[in-house]
Amino acid sequence: MDKIERLINLTACLLETRRPVSYAELKNTVYRGVSKTENAVKRMFERDKDELREMGIEVETVNTEQAGEVAYIIPRDRYYLPHLQLDPDERVALTMVSRLFLGSGTPFSVPAQLALLKLAFEEQAAPAEVPHVHWVDTPRGGELLGEVLDALVRRKTLTFTYRALSGEEPAERTVEPYGLFNKNGAWYLVGFCRLRGDTRSFKLERIVGAVTANQSQPKTPDFDLPEDFDLRSATDWGWPGAGGDHLEAKVLFKARLAFAAAAGGPEPVSRRERADGGLEAAYLVNDPAEFVEWVLGFGPDAVILSPEPLREMVRLKVRSLAGERGRP
Amino acid sequence: MSSKVSERLNRMLLMVPFLAREEGASISDLCREFDIDRATLTQDLDTLQMCGVPDYTPADLMECSVEGDRVRIIFADYFRRPLNLTRQEALTLFVAGSALVRSGVFGRSGALESALGKIEELLSSEGRQELEEVVERIDVEMRAYEGTMREIIDEGLQKGRNLLLEYWSYSRDEVTEREVEPVSLVCSRGYWYLVAWCHSSGDYRLFRLDRIASVELSGAPVSERTRESFSVPRVVGEYKPGKKSHRVRLLFDGGRGRRVVEEWPAATVEELDDGSVRVELRTRNLEWLATYLLKFGPEVSVEGPRELARMVRQKAEAVLAEYT
Repeated sequence: MDKIERLINLTACLLETRRPVSYAELKNTVYRGVSKTENAVKRMFERDKDELREMGIEVETVNTEQAGEVAYIIPRDRYYLPHLQLDPDERVALTMVSRLFLGSGTPFSVPAQLALLKLAFEEQAAPAEVPHVHWVDTPRGGELLGEVLDALVRRKTLTFTYRALSGEEPAERTVEPYGLFNKNGAWYLVGFCRLRGDTRSFKLERIVGAVTANQSQPKTPDFDLPEDFDLRSATDWGWPGAGGDHLEAKVLFKARLAFAAAAGGPEPVSRRERADGGLEAAYLVNDPAEFVEWVLGFGPDAVILSPEPLREMVRLKVRSLAGERGRP
Repeated sequence: MSSKVSERLNRMLLMVPFLAREEGASISDLCREFDIDRATLTQDLDTLQMCGVPDYTPADLMECSVEGDRVRIIFADYFRRPLNLTRQEALTLFVAGSALVRSGVFGRSGALESALGKIEELLSSEGRQELEEVVERIDVEMRAYEGTMREIIDEGLQKGRNLLLEYWSYSRDEVTEREVEPVSLVCSRGYWYLVAWCHSSGDYRLFRLDRIASVELSGAPVSERTRESFSVPRVVGEYKPGKKSHRVRLLFDGGRGRRVVEEWPAATVEELDDGSVRVELRTRNLEWLATYLLKFGPEVSVEGPRELARMVRQKAEAVLAEYT
């Protein structure tokens, strides 16, 4: 008998029954014909029970009248999805949310799809007027995500070989996974690195080979999360220009691309539209190198007007790419 | 996050309630909604027919009947309603919900908050505690989806109306007008894109929202064909360069090169003895690349094609002219 058949039968049996079922009874029904020793069958049952609980199916243990003997049942009111009684706005919101990770190529894809179906069961169909919103991952690094996410939830340490960008030899790290974030499509693990003795971020695609979670005592967490841990402050978040010591820079966007400066990028502190359709915007700059790169992304359609040190950074960068005419 | 067995078990436990309805379920709907092929569905149905309750006589086992495209299961009263949301499902909804609220996709987040509240009540107190703790530790960053154009785009999406776009194509470095049929919003690598059927290209295209110069509603409705043929993986699938693409070779300083390559999954990389990195990629348009390379300054040089080297030089000179 397949494992999956056994798990379905066990679920059906404990769900259909009106009174708790003892192990002795299960042995002669669900586990009948399992050609194993008495102890092996018992262990198999314990693992099956854990697997159902892990999935979110509550298997309740009940003491019977006979001393020392326990029996099991799956309470119906906790097994079945209750009627949620969502109002129309709530239904639209939830449908949008559950669609977000559909087809994203992450461990969230399948749960998102099943959640959507569960919610749609009562409605017969998902509301048609809900706009589709999707989040798409890039494939690299995604394959490790399931393992990392699982260790994060269960608070188990992870061991992997990590290749830092600096080009030094890859080194083995053991990390307590505190948090996980995605920035610009790349997944990062934030955790306490035992090699460095500090909290670090690790880009998943820089991990060489597999990640291994600590297998011993799977039900006991390996570490406590520091009380003051905050994912947002543990990571370098946000656009260049946020936080830190500021330098004010003024940028001219030419008419052709003036809209693009307004639609994306850092938030300007002031802006002035010019008669020729161009846009002058002032920014508070925290990371000059990053800011200069962002402006250069517009090519000659964006020009830093001030301050002079940033203008000089542009010249230094671009001069080497220009031909003879660009050289001083 | 979950093993293959528990994933399949969860799927099958959810499939039965749909199959146990009086009218059964259509095979093609099942395959689409559960995102499985027919062979997998057949396997699942075969397995279900071997399952039931004690004493496992034929009357105790679930029974499938197929009639045309419809399939139905009887003798499965105990599975007539779906299994409650699992922890992973609740976690997924919460992670997605908080990311969407932060990005501003929900104009009114109140409805989402109260809906998530109702979801949270489905969990056991232990599950709720775990969820609250874990949600704080996972974050998917998406740039803000806001601005004046948002209302028009939302209206086009919700009411199925075509949009007239003025769009800056970064790859060709030109601003053009086009009529599109909007179907979806996609967040990829942190950026929001409008996915739409583009009349001038005769195919689905992704339009990065911050590159849309202007947007207006057109009178025409989105066609049924567009809605029906849309699927996320097909539209957002990996870019396959055509025959007309250019083969580009770039030489980067070591660290910088390795970082760049992470942004271009399709590129091939060769590490040279002096620590520098040679990157080879294919692209249909060189215009975007010429602008893109400016930010690397002395850390990059173009090995080929010569046309690109010339374009980079011209762009660099045009930028320098603005700084003299």
